[in-house]
Amino acid sequence: MSHQIVFKTEADMPLLPMSLGSTLYNKTGSWRYVRPIYRNKTSPCNQVCPAGEDIVAYLGMVAEGEYEQARQRILEENPFPGVCGRVCPHPCESECNRAQLGGAIAIHAMERFLADLPMERTLPALEPTAPANAKVAVIGSGPAGLSCAYQMARRGYKVTVFEALPVVGGMMRVGIPSYRLPRKVLDAEIASIVALGVEIRTSMRFGNDLGFEDLHDYQAIFLAIGQHRSRKLNIPGEGAQGVLPGLEFLRQVNLGQKAHVGSTVAVIGGGNTAVDASRAALRLGASKVVVLYRRSRHEMPAVADEIEEAEQEGVRLEFLTAPVEVLTNNDRVTGLRCVRMRLGAPDESGRRRPEVIPGSEYTIDVDTVIPALGQEADLSFLDERIQTEGGLILITETGATSHQAIFAGGDAATGFGTVAHAIGSGKRAALAIDKYLRGQALNGFPSLTAHVRAAPRDVDPTVVRFEDINLAYFMEEPRTPQPQRPATERIRDFSEVNLGFAEGDALREAERCFSCGTCNQCDTCWLYCPDVCILRRDGDGYEVNYDYCKGCGICAQECPRVAIAMEEELKWRK
Amino acid sequence: MEKVIMGNHAVSYGVQLARAQVIAAYPITPQTQIVEMLSEFCADGRLDAKFIKVESEHSVMAAVVGASMAGARAFTATSSHGLGLMHEVLHWAAGGRLPIVMANVNRTMGPGWNVWTEQTDSLAQRDTGWMQFYCETNQEALDTVIQGFKIAETVLLPVMIVLDAFVLSHTMEPVDIPDQATVDSFLPPYDPKFTLDPSDPHAFYGLVTPEHYMELRHKMHQAMQKAVEVTRQVGAEFGEVFGRPYDVVEKYRIDGAEIVLVTSGSITSTARVVVDEWRADGQKVGLLKMRMFRPFPFEAAREALAGARKVAVVDRNISQGHGGIFAAEIRSALYGASHQPVLFPFIIGLGGRDVTPHSIGSILNYAQEHDVPAEESIWMEVKE
Repeated sequence: MSHQIVFKTEADMPLLPMSLGSTLYNKTGSWRYVRPIYRNKTSPCNQVCPAGEDIVAYLGMVAEGEYEQARQRILEENPFPGVCGRVCPHPCESECNRAQLGGAIAIHAMERFLADLPMERTLPALEPTAPANAKVAVIGSGPAGLSCAYQMARRGYKVTVFEALPVVGGMMRVGIPSYRLPRKVLDAEIASIVALGVEIRTSMRFGNDLGFEDLHDYQAIFLAIGQHRSRKLNIPGEGAQGVLPGLEFLRQVNLGQKAHVGSTVAVIGGGNTAVDASRAALRLGASKVVVLYRRSRHEMPAVADEIEEAEQEGVRLEFLTAPVEVLTNNDRVTGLRCVRMRLGAPDESGRRRPEVIPGSEYTIDVDTVIPALGQEADLSFLDERIQTEGGLILITETGATSHQAIFAGGDAATGFGTVAHAIGSGKRAALAIDKYLRGQALNGFPSLTAHVRAAPRDVDPTVVRFEDINLAYFMEEPRTPQPQRPATERIRDFSEVNLGFAEGDALREAERCFSCGTCNQCDTCWLYCPDVCILRRDGDGYEVNYDYCKGCGICAQECPRVAIAMEEELKWRK
Repeated sequence: MEKVIMGNHAVSYGVQLARAQVIAAYPITPQTQIVEMLSEFCADGRLDAKFIKVESEHSVMAAVVGASMAGARAFTATSSHGLGLMHEVLHWAAGGRLPIVMANVNRTMGPGWNVWTEQTDSLAQRDTGWMQFYCETNQEALDTVIQGFKIAETVLLPVMIVLDAFVLSHTMEPVDIPDQATVDSFLPPYDPKFTLDPSDPHAFYGLVTPEHYMELRHKMHQAMQKAVEVTRQVGAEFGEVFGRPYDVVEKYRIDGAEIVLVTSGSITSTARVVVDEWRADGQKVGLLKMRMFRPFPFEAAREALAGARKVAVVDRNISQGHGGIFAAEIRSALYGASHQPVLFPFIIGLGGRDVTPHSIGSILNYAQEHDVPAEESIWMEVKE
């Protein structure tokens, strides 16, 4: 303890007022009533990524020039960065805090940049967990099925994928046109999954070519059959020549089969299938393409970028209209009779319900009609062992069906309708099947709308918002756009519209990232601590010296990204 | 290497050659060029130093105090109101026994906003515990920076190097810039006696009761006394190494002089010319240049003025309610001396008004024509 020193002579005294002894005995941490807690929080991009990618971490790696490491971090969660970097509706960007200071980080283009790196892809290794000879059957080779197969194979399981079509990839191949997703990108990513030892057997339609009774060798089954049946218009004239259901039309186009459209095309619907069909029709030579949607632009479920690109290419959008009859002559389409709609009260989906305006009928002249009102799963092969609800296979938050060895995911079980959601649900099922086959309880899974990680991190679930960011450290910097081919050129063929980021673009975007909630070792806390109580852990963040930290809070106040938060003493233990 | 440079840049080169490690600064006319050039040296690697830009002179001095406590050779430059704003922290630097070197370009205090030269800004800091050196030429400014670090680091007190606004700061003169190796041999790296060290923490600047405070001030007083001799030794050694010896004062044609002018700063150069003219005319006049002001070199002043009948002190400064500050110091040095010359205290050139050979001539005429001064302070060239 301290005691007063009285010097007997001047010569005994130091030259300046300083303590002769060390001050380390004085543990000033006892003065503290709030303490800084150094722990990463959740970034909004990570929170909403349907595939459960650790986006904030890989953006940080890109900023450091660690491209391969960044790609590995994606591949931990998602074997399809090349696909998602092209077709994902990127909810991460909608939530990005940077949106309010120069524009959201171009995460979507960044994912593509990493996927397209001109170096050979090696999948990140995992310790095998599979019991000996454990075999899993996956029904459907779409993004859900292959994501499940990928995660199972990485854990040492023998996986066989059964695919109804003669081609692999599900909607990624038959639903999405190649101007959005070049086939060589898809082929390469599928090849890297096959390289893990996954067997894919095509032209094996479940319910026709095989059934549950053929799968006794497998200890678990994952159903990921997708939604491949177009909903019907249910109006007169729907059977006429010149009416091409959206999914069938896209399948023909995407498989290189002969697909014919006339010169004037009406596409009915407001989702991605409608937009894809309209742009494909232009590329097949249609001179006029109109998309008819019964609600307004605001309610359109299609990806906003895609809608904009369609309009650039010459697709006309007509809102608040619905067809009531396909007009025909000699069983050939000659036009549509439509009614005007208006928006009434919100329905159960939260969107305002369209209502017919009486007496507003009108006709338009078209020779081709493409209904794209949504799709549904063909569940006719299921027996009573597998429960369904509302046209979807009923699953729990683990992906388990009413049969203990059968799991399900993807659009047929969730109806989410995006590749990224399907990848997330395939991963979720893989983690659950792994537990099931090792005899572990299926607990610890978040709800179906939350996102799971194959490589979880110790992160505070609190989501960092824009108002939490310390704006003293960030300038307004504009978002880097991804280059595109000009609209007049790109409608001539099915080559890719977007041209991808150069390295400089990716670096610029990574450096704009706030790194919300994730410490990137910027040293601000270390520099500002007036008590030398922030200690660097050699390349692994910091720790607080609580013996001397007085709880002044400067570190938390200054941290640009909320990686440090102050909590009342003792409460932090909870 | 000889270069024709401004006084400000002479200081910058001196700091570069002294290998200062931390420079903190806030710009103020007329010193800004000193730190501007140093910032360029730091940016392009000619000087391996941390340059800290802060928001006020108070923080400037706090930053160099911190740097010096951490064991770095620290430098700053300021002027006039900037120096005034530093006042509180000047005490912390001196009481902390930190060998900081600062250049102060003498500039008039406002109001009457004025950027021209006058010594009141630096002389008003005479009681802070800083050593003060007044420079006559750009060469002397450069040389005194190098000597200043050596003196400061020997006696553990800070050094203020003072040069006149514009007359030196912005006027080009030929200056010999010594080579780095020779300066390195003359001025070894700073070896601090006390440092802030997180691995061996001590409490600095804490409470000191009446029981011990006086002894701390007595130690500073002893260091100041020692500084006179240290300055002489360092000046002599500098002369051996670089061929330009320095002392605490300089006597010019003082032998047999009946009237001795006492000057400081660049007025000295003007006075030399006038003394030469008067001597050529057979008049017995001489000159005493005060290079060191703190500590005040009592012995050297007394010894230099021992043979004079009259002493004319030229003050470009004013302690309101008293008079010229150099005059007060010289008068106190002479009190009790065996020989007591008559002292004529002149106030001249305030606010940067030119002090010409004619002005110095008027001063000598006054001293020649009067047996004793007619007033407590003789204000020269004031409009009627």
